[in-house]
Amino acid sequence: MTSIAKETVKKFASREIGQLQATLEEIKGLSGLTAEQKKEIASGIIPLFYRDHSEDDDLDNLIRNAEKTLALLGDDVVDVVISHMVEADMESVDHFARALGDIGAPAVEPVLKALTNHSADGYVLTSLLQAMSYFKDESALKTMRKAFEYTGHANPQVRSAALHCLGRVSNNLDLASASAEDRSKMFDAVFSSLSAPKAITRLHAVRALGEMLRNSYLTAEQVDKTHKALRAILGFDDFEWDVAYIVRAEADRFLHLCREPAAAGAQSNGTGRYKQEFTIIEKRELVPMTHYMRVNAPLIAKKIQAGQFIIIRPNAHSERIPLSICGWNREEGYIEIIVMGCGRTSMETIAKNVGDKLQDVVGPLGQRSHIRKHEGACVVLGGGYGTGAIIPTARDLKALGNKVYGVVGARTKDLLIMVDELREVCDEVFVTTNDGSEGIEGFVTHALDKIMKREPVSYTLAVGPVPMMMAVTKMNEGTDIEGWVSLNAIMVDGTGMCGACRVSVGAKTKFACFHGPDFLGKDVDFTELTKRQKMFVDKEKIAMEAYGK
Amino acid sequence: MNEKKKINTKERMKKPRNEMPLHEAAKRITNFEEVPIGYTLEQAMDEAGRCIQCKKPECIGGCPVGIDIPAFLSLLEEGDVAGAARKIRETNFLPAACGRVCPQDKQCEAVCIVGKKNDSVAIGNLERFVADYEKQTNMNRVPDMPPETGKRVAIVGSGPAGLTAAYELRKRGHAVTVFEAFHRGGGVMVYGIPRFRLPLEIIDDDIQLLVDMGVEFVYDMIIGNILTLDDLIEKEGFDAVFIGTGAGLPKMLGIPGENLNGVYSANEYLTRIYLMHAIHFPENTTPLFQGKKMAVIGAGNTAMDTLRTGKRLGAQVTCYYRRSREEAPARSEELEHAEQEFIDFKWLSNPIEFIGDENNFVTGIKCAVMKLSEPDDSGRRKPVPTGETFIDEVDTVVFSLGCDVNPIIPNATPDLRVNKWGIVMVDEETCHTSKKGVFAGGDAITGGSTVILAMGQAKNAALKVHEYLMGDFNYSLNVPTDPNAPGIQWAGRFSKAKR
Repeated sequence: MTSIAKETVKKFASREIGQLQATLEEIKGLSGLTAEQKKEIASGIIPLFYRDHSEDDDLDNLIRNAEKTLALLGDDVVDVVISHMVEADMESVDHFARALGDIGAPAVEPVLKALTNHSADGYVLTSLLQAMSYFKDESALKTMRKAFEYTGHANPQVRSAALHCLGRVSNNLDLASASAEDRSKMFDAVFSSLSAPKAITRLHAVRALGEMLRNSYLTAEQVDKTHKALRAILGFDDFEWDVAYIVRAEADRFLHLCREPAAAGAQSNGTGRYKQEFTIIEKRELVPMTHYMRVNAPLIAKKIQAGQFIIIRPNAHSERIPLSICGWNREEGYIEIIVMGCGRTSMETIAKNVGDKLQDVVGPLGQRSHIRKHEGACVVLGGGYGTGAIIPTARDLKALGNKVYGVVGARTKDLLIMVDELREVCDEVFVTTNDGSEGIEGFVTHALDKIMKREPVSYTLAVGPVPMMMAVTKMNEGTDIEGWVSLNAIMVDGTGMCGACRVSVGAKTKFACFHGPDFLGKDVDFTELTKRQKMFVDKEKIAMEAYGK
Repeated sequence: MNEKKKINTKERMKKPRNEMPLHEAAKRITNFEEVPIGYTLEQAMDEAGRCIQCKKPECIGGCPVGIDIPAFLSLLEEGDVAGAARKIRETNFLPAACGRVCPQDKQCEAVCIVGKKNDSVAIGNLERFVADYEKQTNMNRVPDMPPETGKRVAIVGSGPAGLTAAYELRKRGHAVTVFEAFHRGGGVMVYGIPRFRLPLEIIDDDIQLLVDMGVEFVYDMIIGNILTLDDLIEKEGFDAVFIGTGAGLPKMLGIPGENLNGVYSANEYLTRIYLMHAIHFPENTTPLFQGKKMAVIGAGNTAMDTLRTGKRLGAQVTCYYRRSREEAPARSEELEHAEQEFIDFKWLSNPIEFIGDENNFVTGIKCAVMKLSEPDDSGRRKPVPTGETFIDEVDTVVFSLGCDVNPIIPNATPDLRVNKWGIVMVDEETCHTSKKGVFAGGDAITGGSTVILAMGQAKNAALKVHEYLMGDFNYSLNVPTDPNAPGIQWAGRFSKAKR
């Protein structure tokens, strides 16, 4: 029998592909071979794997057949194959790996043992992991558990091979055979490699995740995690994962700066006759974080009316924010604003000092307050930063011969603003504080209640936080009082172009910037307004954190 | 050169069209770089050689500004790019922008004779090439200026109409001041057209050309509020005013839930991104709420822009349109680009409600399934509901349903006549409004169209403004008084009036 094996092996000396194919078929026909004989035949077949079969389909087929034939020899030849494989060049390794994969279960233990024996040799480990990637079913399961260990290997090649192996395992192992725990470990091992320092490792991690996704190995939660990570790699979000991505994202972030130096600032405002410089000519801190500012804006000052507002951008990178006006001087050409530092843009505004310029001031915007002579008294109510905004309207009401009461509310005495200024344009001013530290204890509505009990009221205007405007509106319910509120919706352009400031008024959609800002309180959907104002709260936090830096 | 001339018409007709090289779809959806790469000089000369130089060219009439297309193609074929550029600039001041955003497939290329037997000549791509080449090689673009006339014109709005009018009037020696409400010029080309279609440099370059010609730009000016039209004429001493304020008032759907958070008009969404640079948040502090599943309603050019922008911001985007693909008003190239970029389309889906959560954020869109009726007398197939509805989960909705005319100026100018849709009424021949010395053009008088139509109209109006300023304006004006009268419609070549 030995002679048969020897005879066969001799035939491998041939260069003739047809003949070699015949020899392989002949081997497949042999039966009753001893372990020794099988080993001899294996040694005969193996040299075929070293042949250069690129662009030679016939030789390629032959080698495929050789892999199969070798595998048929079974467990007896595993050691031979492994001992050759550890020496094999990179191109040939795959053939050994396939043969081992085809042998299947009997090859698993020897391969795993070899892994331990060659633990110092990265190259061999890579080859063995490659072989492991061809195991199927039960063998794949065993392989997978071993491959985990190598996903954290210091050698990036080994690590990549382990990831590749895991990806393949999801192909070769039926979903039902892999326990949830195994799959979870597998996912963690692969996922953590997404942040590996070498691109090749990350590449294989992405591929392995892809294979696992395709084979439904991931839970919904894991899919979501993967989704995020893949998007990060592609630069779809700012979840900074991939080092290369961060570089790219940074580059992309500043690319626009190279391109649009003009857009950033230089383009602003005219050069000749209409050149406008929005210089801050006076600044006072009224209460902490709330400032009064006088800004040079002659053209706006000439035209603005009570109830109208402006939009400012403090700096070239800034958002456009609407602000109400608390006064103006048409001759000297300035407007007066009150800015409360509560978000990024308002903080940047109050950080400016006398002599500094605001990047843009646009206005006047919106419709003027609805003012006429009333039978009963007119009450203007201001809360917080809104106190400034009621002054011009009060002045206009007074000028028409109305009896005008002012009401100013704050949490406590120290937060009251613009009381003296309001006194100048009103018949009488009431002050309310929540803690009773000055004036009436309670809310502005308490003062309004007091006035209403004393004499008939025909008109109210409330400017301030939404709950305060709602409370005043509620008090007017069931009366003939013309109750106006001034809405501070989120805006972008302020001219009606974008519709960001949509409010529901009398069940119709209105634009606060153009149709407003004053609306009859009874028609306004305050609940919707409150919720719409919260649209960007998360972003505001991010912008503030970035400002802190 | 002579060899090329020898190519006969038959051979020209047989040459295949040079397709515009594009960035790969998978790659381009990760960035905001321009999608088409542009022709090489060789490609451009070859493509220009496909023009058969018809005796009666249809393409000139197909162009709203009447570019002498065969003439510029002939110069380009010989490699005289500078000559071609000069030829285009005789009639069109924004070739780089027009080559990119004009719907050529509905204009010049639609009537191209070559297109009857083969693909039409890629006129748009060639216009783009000439304009880009001109810029890259720093050719002098400032035209020869006549002596100053001493007349002053105020232009309201710095979009396509305003810039074109400014160019035409400055070229004729008038002092021109452009008033813009925003903090930078370009109008809809900046806030409404994405950077991957029209890079900012191109717009800024054209504005720079006007500045070099001596046009004054004033930003942050809300004409109507800060200065009325009467102020401009009576106090500021302008001899004429041109209104090019465009169509800046988004149309609403009027369905339940349209004011939910996460529901934007296309104007707001695109303005946040392209004018205010919300994609560079927080370096630029304008925020954008961008969800993962975005619905865009409408299938016009702006809808395509919105879809492709959303895709670039990582969202899964779907287009909902109540008619079918055939009726989609978008430029065919934009529609194709969107389809290449893995964007889903739900044709015959008419949104009837947006569903929100307790915090007022949108979570779903409810649509009626439509079908097209049999063609009516006018041959139009109307979408009619089938009675079926479906609900899709979404977290961002952008509606792109077109715009009405911005009401600020009409509101502040009682003697400026508008129709019931707010469109500024003008005399069709001269674009003169009901107010003496005030002309209008662009979307403000049509109610919304394209960059090139706005330019075509502005150009026509600018010529009339010139006649008016020079004192040979003797037309009997016919400004419609009927509030139901439609806006100006463009029908073929704009204005055959003597020049």
